Amino acid sequence: MASTAFVYLVFFLLIGLPLVLVLMQVIFADVFDPTQPNLHISFGPLSRIFIVPRVYSAILHSVELASLVGVLATLLGGAFALIVQRCDIPLRKTVGVIPWIAFLTPAYLKTVAWVLLMSPGGYLSEFGLLPPLTGSLFFAFPGLALIHTLGLFPFATFIIGTALRGLGSEMEDAARLGGVPLWRVWLRINLPLLAPALALSFIAIFAQVLSDFGLASTIARMSNFNVLTYEIYAATSSYPIDFPLAGTQSLVLLLLVTLAVLVDRLLRRKDDLKLISGRSRPSRDYRLGHWRWLITGLALLVALLALFLPIGAVIIRALTRTLSDGMALHNFTLANIIEASSLHSPAFAALLNSLRYAGLGAIISCAAAVLLALQLEGPGKFMRSSVMSLALASVAIPGIVFGFGYILMWNRLPIFRDSLFPHYGDSSLLITGYVGVAVPYALIVIMAAIGQLAPSLNESAKLFGAGTFRRVMRITLPLIALSILTAFMLNFIHIMFELPVSQMLIPRTESPAPIYILRLLNYDKDGLACALSLISMLIAGGASLVLWLAFRWFAARNGAATNGKWISTPSLAGDVQ
Amino acid sequence: MTAELYCRGITKHLGGRPILQSLDLDVKAGEVVSLLGASGSGKTTLLRCIAGLIEPDSGSIVIDGKTVFGGAQPVAAEKRRIGMVFQDYALWPHMTVAGNLAFALQSQNLSASEIHTRVEHALELARLVPLRHRHPSELSGGQQQRVAIARCIAARPSLMLFDEPLSNLDAALREDMRTEMMDLVRHEGLTVVYVTHDQSEAMAVSDRIAVMRDGILAQFAPPQTLYDRPANAFVAGFIGGFSALPGCVTAHHFTPDGTTHALPVSETSDGQGFLVLRPEDARSPESHPDLCLSGRVAARAYQGRCWRLTLEIGTTRIKIDWPSGVELGQELSFSLPPDRRLIVNH
Repeated sequence: MASTAFVYLVFFLLIGLPLVLVLMQVIFADVFDPTQPNLHISFGPLSRIFIVPRVYSAILHSVELASLVGVLATLLGGAFALIVQRCDIPLRKTVGVIPWIAFLTPAYLKTVAWVLLMSPGGYLSEFGLLPPLTGSLFFAFPGLALIHTLGLFPFATFIIGTALRGLGSEMEDAARLGGVPLWRVWLRINLPLLAPALALSFIAIFAQVLSDFGLASTIARMSNFNVLTYEIYAATSSYPIDFPLAGTQSLVLLLLVTLAVLVDRLLRRKDDLKLISGRSRPSRDYRLGHWRWLITGLALLVALLALFLPIGAVIIRALTRTLSDGMALHNFTLANIIEASSLHSPAFAALLNSLRYAGLGAIISCAAAVLLALQLEGPGKFMRSSVMSLALASVAIPGIVFGFGYILMWNRLPIFRDSLFPHYGDSSLLITGYVGVAVPYALIVIMAAIGQLAPSLNESAKLFGAGTFRRVMRITLPLIALSILTAFMLNFIHIMFELPVSQMLIPRTESPAPIYILRLLNYDKDGLACALSLISMLIAGGASLVLWLAFRWFAARNGAATNGKWISTPSLAGDVQ
Repeated sequence: MTAELYCRGITKHLGGRPILQSLDLDVKAGEVVSLLGASGSGKTTLLRCIAGLIEPDSGSIVIDGKTVFGGAQPVAAEKRRIGMVFQDYALWPHMTVAGNLAFALQSQNLSASEIHTRVEHALELARLVPLRHRHPSELSGGQQQRVAIARCIAARPSLMLFDEPLSNLDAALREDMRTEMMDLVRHEGLTVVYVTHDQSEAMAVSDRIAVMRDGILAQFAPPQTLYDRPANAFVAGFIGGFSALPGCVTAHHFTPDGTTHALPVSETSDGQGFLVLRPEDARSPESHPDLCLSGRVAARAYQGRCWRLTLEIGTTRIKIDWPSGVELGQELSFSLPPDRRLIVNH
């Protein structure tokens, strides 16, 4: 009972209470009024959804954008899955890697890159590749939809690819042997069977676009295309501060995301029943003839747009003085790189801050997730699955809503406001916010790993007299070490590039790198911003690689798990250590 | 080292459903007892109650004279000194063979030299010395099973539990491993409770078999008694592929349901009952002309030494072994030896 209460308390304080406070304002508009807080019920904030043009236009814009990107990214991702898995295209493996790299590249880096590429005087207009009108079209709805689609299509590739693998080609073969033409097979057999995966992909991408803050605070803002996430931020940060409005907009955002998550859960259940079959054999490839060259060309064009062009733009901008001088030889310099990496520069200080926050946030969230997951080992399946569902739902909560909830909790509730730690306005609260966002991710990874351990492994140790602490240290932890490391790296990288919580809980001093980068962009110091982004990426990637190698070295010495395999090592005298 | 086990009135509900119903089980020191039953009969639940991995709702469990459940405070699993060979062996994948054996002993706070001696002894006994540095994933199924047993032997438990230890092995390996496993256990003189759903496995390993059905013991007896005198139709059906032919006993005569022909039996009580028919008991009609039954051949399968015929007697299908293959649909008479006319209740 105590363990159950502890798990719920942690969830409540990190996630539940901030959310409740956000939503409270929808009904109790003056609950956090700085002069006269009261609990008078008012439907004023709620009615503003329908009255204030800026509010309902943000809702419409968000839904409009999320829907279009959901369709486009599903189509593009689905096409990628199909050509990689079922077509005899050249460079098949290379094309197969494109979605993975696109998935792993930080989203706001790509955003910065597109600004550099598309703005008037940007790289594309320098090369004459951008007709004058295109730029203005780009910084509007079409541009936003394109960047989101290029960033999110990997989700669709993964989801639809898995379904395609599960489908196999036996049902298709049976129809074709019965004389049914290929187009009809796809229309009547494959597409209906893939429908749950297609819907799932649409919903996942829909929810991602709704929650996005990176594009919302850059290109969408620049284009006057207001969306919900940025409006929530604006209501809490621009004068006059309007918490009730932010609460109402958060409610709408949460409702939309919750709806998407619920449909996702329903479809997943249905999907599992329909498509998972151990009997499917590997499918035959479609022979595309000469078309295969065109198809490969199109796939590489997507790679160019989604990867090479943005990353190239960021690298070039980091190595040049001004954007307007483009790629002229005299414009190249190492000044940005040197400034971003010199120990006493504010840019490097921001990077160090982020590294510290990410390290601490990842360690605390993983430790908390391990403790929570171990607490849940004892109680029944119901408790485990309910906490797992809670964690999955928490992952879907937009970071901006979290950040807002933390402001209310730690700035307005006296019991938390007066606490010395964590304290509003300094980095301790920012790290707490990061932990709140990161714990559900870590919990999902670690609980899944513990769930895969056969209960008999612990039970046998128990029967041999091993107590709880010994079982955890010698059996459970070594067996889930790889997952703990995965959760750590996932959260470390996530926090390094996290934007909405960083923006909402920004400390008075010691700003994190993503915020510093945004600030540099606002002051037209985009060269330094790009250099700092690149160095952040390299350091985060390098740190992850070092950790991974250290783990492999440690595992090889101790026979722990790597990559799901057990490393065999000659052991010491009879292993009777 | 060996212990007696007493279970009294063990009751356990899971999800509101009764799994064990006031069950009693006594196992003598050094005895091998099998819990035999279909899935859902409660055999694994009983085993886990004995191990302390789950707690019964009521009842008492006494191991080696010490009440481990039902006394003032239940004794935790780690304090019961029980060895268990799990269905999946539960070998710790990140430890070598020797590491698996040693870890079990380190938890008992033994000295390093004592651990070393015990590990060596168990490795030698289970012929695992050449495999000592391997990890479980590098071993075959049979070798993994030997490690699981050696791990228990090294820990010198007072009681050893086996949870369907052969179910993960293929048929060819199963018999070899069964012999090898029981040799090890008998050599150490361990008290064993062995869970299985395979009656031939239970017959081969046990001193006594507890046949379980819906959380109660349907019969608890040595293998030969189960074979010769199954307590009821359920046990007869579970043991040796016996057929239970339903019918009515009237004045020392048994009439199968759906027929008019009566077979003289020694049963005295009149009423509904089942005639236990073992396939190997069928004889030619001439052998015992007064003790004949007949039925229509519904199916046949050649089995090398004989044919296994499926006969329809009235509304029931039974199986008999017969020296020749009889045409399908043909009527066949057979007789039963006088001592093989056992009538049981449901």
